[in-house]
Amino acid sequence: MKDIIRVKCLLSSDVETLLNQQIKKEAHSSAIYLSMASWCNRNGYDFSADYFFKQAEEERQHQLKIYKYVLDMGGTSISPDITNIKLEYNSFREVFEDALDQEISVTQSLKNIAARCQKEQDFITLEFLNWFFREQREEEFKARRALELFEVIGEEGTGRWQIDKHVGQIVYSSEA
Amino acid sequence: MQQTVSLPKINFTEVFSTKNGAIYQSDSEGCWYIDFAGKLARFDYRNLLKLKKAVYQIDIEDLLLNSDKSADLEIIFICACDHCYVLSLLQIIKLKDLLQGTFTMLELNHIIFDRLHRIIS
Repeated sequence: MKDIIRVKCLLSSDVETLLNQQIKKEAHSSAIYLSMASWCNRNGYDFSADYFFKQAEEERQHQLKIYKYVLDMGGTSISPDITNIKLEYNSFREVFEDALDQEISVTQSLKNIAARCQKEQDFITLEFLNWFFREQREEEFKARRALELFEVIGEEGTGRWQIDKHVGQIVYSSEA
Repeated sequence: MQQTVSLPKINFTEVFSTKNGAIYQSDSEGCWYIDFAGKLARFDYRNLLKLKKAVYQIDIEDLLLNSDKSADLEIIFICACDHCYVLSLLQIIKLKDLLQGTFTMLELNHIIFDRLHRIIS
């Protein structure tokens, strides 16, 4: 008896489900960043708004990357519906706290997929995920550095204005 | 003069069967035939997965506990597929049983292929 399912699709149904969940997670991230950009813009933090617009675009690219990978491997990628996006934040600082939380949860869910791939010996998807792990290093670094600006500069006086100005200048330049 | 009609030869392999139905695989056509609820229906790869999803999504427990007066019928309609099933609750349980067995056997077949044929040959 032929192994028709394997001929049609490289991914196991479990990995495919996890990747589709990740697609949703990236789309959700992108929507959250967009909402953060809106909040920053409304409250006069222009540079931070730009920073979050850029982040939203990046998350969207991540989503598409997984989306196409699933299709290329013969699977079915599902376009997610995104709801429950936070519109208001209590403070400028809270925006960046949420941003870091978001990145940490993305990293965690990628680790979860990789663990599943390892268990199934799906080295192809594992290798595909490597790019994302590299990317997460940068994303978490940037989010953490941004939050650290609140400690380094301080929010008093023109502090928040200074922080806003410096957010866009954070770069991750590790060669490792 | 008598005409003879030669039908194309299709080989079926039984994947899984219960006393309520059976699922066969046709290697030459790359599809499956489901013998259930009084009909034999052809399912290709995409449609079989869609059927699996549709059947697994039915909340059997909810239907069992439901005390509404409505009939316990479920219509399983699959997009872009020629077949549709109108099943009673008992039939749904039986079909789910059949599909679960089938997918276990297909998974087993996949493991055998991976571990034996694909490594040795």
